Amino acid sequence: MPTIRPQSLPLRALRAPSTSRSQSQFSRQIKLTPSVSPVASIPSKAQSHQFLRNHTTSSVSQDEVSHFSSLASSWWDPMGPSRILHLMNPLRHEFIASCLAESSPSTDTQASTSTSTATATATASPPANLHYLDIGCGGGIFAESLARTIPLDPSNPAPTPTRAASMTAIDPTTDLIQIAKKHARLDPTVDSHLRSGKFRYLNTTLEDVLASESESNPGSTSTSTSTSSSTSSSSVTHPQFDIVTLFEVIEHIDPKTTTYQSFLEKCLSAVKPGGWLIGSTISRTFPSFLLNQVIAEAPWPIGVVPRGTHEWSKFVNPPELHGWAQEGLMRLADGGVTRAGSGALDGMLWKCVGAVYVPGFGWKMVPGSEDWGNYFWAVRRGV
Amino acid sequence: MRPISRAALRPYVCASCRNGIGAGRRRFASATAQKPDIYDVVCVGGGPAGLGLLAALRASPVTSKLRVALVETQDLDKARTWNLDSSKFSNRVSSLTPSTVAFLQKIDAWKHLDIERVQEYQEMQVWDGETGSRISFDWSSETPAFEDLRTVATMTENSNLVRGLLGRIAASGDENVTLFSNHTVASIDNGSDQPDGPDLSAWPILSVKPTGANAETQAPSRIAARLLVGADGINSPVRTFADIPTQGWDYNRHGIVATLSLADLPTPFNNVHTAYQRFLPVLGGPIALLPLPNNHATLVWSTKPEHAAYLKSLPTPAFLAMVNAAFRLSMTDLSYMIGMSESSSEISHEDELDWRVKHTEQPSHIPPKAIGVQEGTVASFPLRFRHAAQYISPRVALVGDAAHVIHPLAGQGLNLGLADVASLSRTIEYAVSHGMDIGDLLTLERYSSERYLPNAKIGGACDLLHKMYTVPGQGPITWARSLGLDVIDKLPFVKSFLMKNAEGY
Repeated sequence: MPTIRPQSLPLRALRAPSTSRSQSQFSRQIKLTPSVSPVASIPSKAQSHQFLRNHTTSSVSQDEVSHFSSLASSWWDPMGPSRILHLMNPLRHEFIASCLAESSPSTDTQASTSTSTATATATASPPANLHYLDIGCGGGIFAESLARTIPLDPSNPAPTPTRAASMTAIDPTTDLIQIAKKHARLDPTVDSHLRSGKFRYLNTTLEDVLASESESNPGSTSTSTSTSSSTSSSSVTHPQFDIVTLFEVIEHIDPKTTTYQSFLEKCLSAVKPGGWLIGSTISRTFPSFLLNQVIAEAPWPIGVVPRGTHEWSKFVNPPELHGWAQEGLMRLADGGVTRAGSGALDGMLWKCVGAVYVPGFGWKMVPGSEDWGNYFWAVRRGV
Repeated sequence: MRPISRAALRPYVCASCRNGIGAGRRRFASATAQKPDIYDVVCVGGGPAGLGLLAALRASPVTSKLRVALVETQDLDKARTWNLDSSKFSNRVSSLTPSTVAFLQKIDAWKHLDIERVQEYQEMQVWDGETGSRISFDWSSETPAFEDLRTVATMTENSNLVRGLLGRIAASGDENVTLFSNHTVASIDNGSDQPDGPDLSAWPILSVKPTGANAETQAPSRIAARLLVGADGINSPVRTFADIPTQGWDYNRHGIVATLSLADLPTPFNNVHTAYQRFLPVLGGPIALLPLPNNHATLVWSTKPEHAAYLKSLPTPAFLAMVNAAFRLSMTDLSYMIGMSESSSEISHEDELDWRVKHTEQPSHIPPKAIGVQEGTVASFPLRFRHAAQYISPRVALVGDAAHVIHPLAGQGLNLGLADVASLSRTIEYAVSHGMDIGDLLTLERYSSERYLPNAKIGGACDLLHKMYTVPGQGPITWARSLGLDVIDKLPFVKSFLMKNAEGY
């Protein structure tokens, strides 16, 4: 019942050897918008190197980077070392669908702001109007599968309950982003989304995303089809998304240089009010030590995860996450001098469900198995 | 593995291995400059399996938006307008298990079949011509008294099924579906990396050209398949393209088929219809008589090629005498009669049968006498066993006879094919609703892991039965198979376990 290999790397940067090439002269090149802009700002190959900057606040250890760079070439091999991660991917879609069934971001946003009329009536087949940000997309296993569900014609109803309208996927590891882009071209549907800008891979960090100007903010030329990122908090200038995903990421950040608390807070600030922050990780318990460290990383044929993928001490438990998320939401609501109280948690929802891998049968959601190892979690940001 | 261009292999294969795989295959990009038309599912072969897959995909709301195409060499319009007098039946008839019928009902295809032309049967009598030991299959042990017996299987003509499936596909509208009727696959190649478009170098590109008179004048259409389904029979070109090896052997047997009319029966008790099968070890296989409506029946007689040639050469009365003899006479009598020369002996097959039946004790479970053969329905086909090494390859899946061909003695071939189709359509449905690429190995392995073992199990069981029942004379194997049959017949739970397996539950 082992584990997953991280799909993604921690955010913030890495000092890649090539970094010096183009550092510093580009500060805010990326234009991040959750909107569907016909002429998208897809970084060209030359451009993508611009993001290889020297990041001052690195939360990624060189060990993690070199570990995942070595896996890059086999990332998409269905029988390769990332197989168990590929097998988990459908469960992510199901978990997102279950979150959206509980609370759908856009309808809530519209109810409170009443900005859009297009989708005011909830129909049997809801529109595809949710904008996604995948943090730590790695080789793009989740990002590409979600991009595949974006309808080619935006007026069509959503083909799946995940209702994606756009996907922005970021990862600091250049190798993985290149692998991801190359793989995306193998599918004409995904390729056309890449070309139209509905699907973007950015070799950047969450910090840069949050520091960039949102195109769809008030005053700017907005091409947003449904919910723009301008909501009740008019002070927000950076882009925000309906769904922010964090699959197999949080256990790979470097606790020496950053804290889970501040990392989660940044993730939450990228979520629109009423939207969801959805992730998966591994809990730090004795059974998970046995399953994930001893058994899953054992030599072949027992192990299913490459050695050195996980560090048990970096795992996080569901109650810890819940606490950090609450604290993060309150800090986001803090004013200049006043501190927000528990009122900032109004409308917050918390979901958590365990997932178990049984060799030969695959992944299964097992409620109550959170302490065994892998689990999905989700936080809804109150409106 | 089929040759794939080096660029496509890069993510999967290490540099040194790549050199070996890619070598020897070089194409000029200019030759494939024309952009192919992109489809989600391209099915080669318009038989029951291929059409069943298309109908299933059109029936599900999740997959009905997929762009699908089907390539068939024959004229599908002929199949669509197939019509036969209600007293006549095609000789290509299949026995559908209840789970197959349930699948056809689920995809709304069953109501497009002409129900007047199908015949359910509730009982099956199987016995050993050598020893007389017998097993009867029915659901009486699990049916309360005064209730109708459950159906064991349903006989239907393949043409009726194909016409029904075409009707189902037509009822789903013509948006996103293309039927290349009267078209043949001229070639299948890997695509190319288009600098201004997607990288199709691992995609199968089919060159499809029309058959018939104006074949040369029309340019072939080039279509790219996200998933290429081979429903193209035992010599599957799709399987050849995917470079999937297939193992198996020829049984050195032929199956003789014919549509017969039977003597009038007393009205069957409880409206029970019966299928009969008798193993004839000296002639190399079983003879089966399966019911069709209005006292008709279809014959399937597996026998050695020389016997098959002999039987086909007989005039109708002699052929009927042989069929009736095969259900009634001892092995010794039968081997004599199959050697009778029509010209040299004055005694006809009919007289010989009449005389010998008088001196043979008849069991109670023999079928009614066959009294007529529908003209032009006596035909034969070779029996073979084949099993593909894999059902899947990147962007390729095999279904039906392209994946497996089995001995027809249990009437399971078409049922396995449609079970493949049901599984593959479920797999595609799951993939679409979870953002998976339907041609990806990670998607397709769900199909192959669901179907490979069940097909191998049924195919192997049929092979074992065939081998056990071709041992003539008295001996340990004869003794063992008779004991086995008698024991199973007396143990209701073993029998219902076997029946459930045969039904596909």
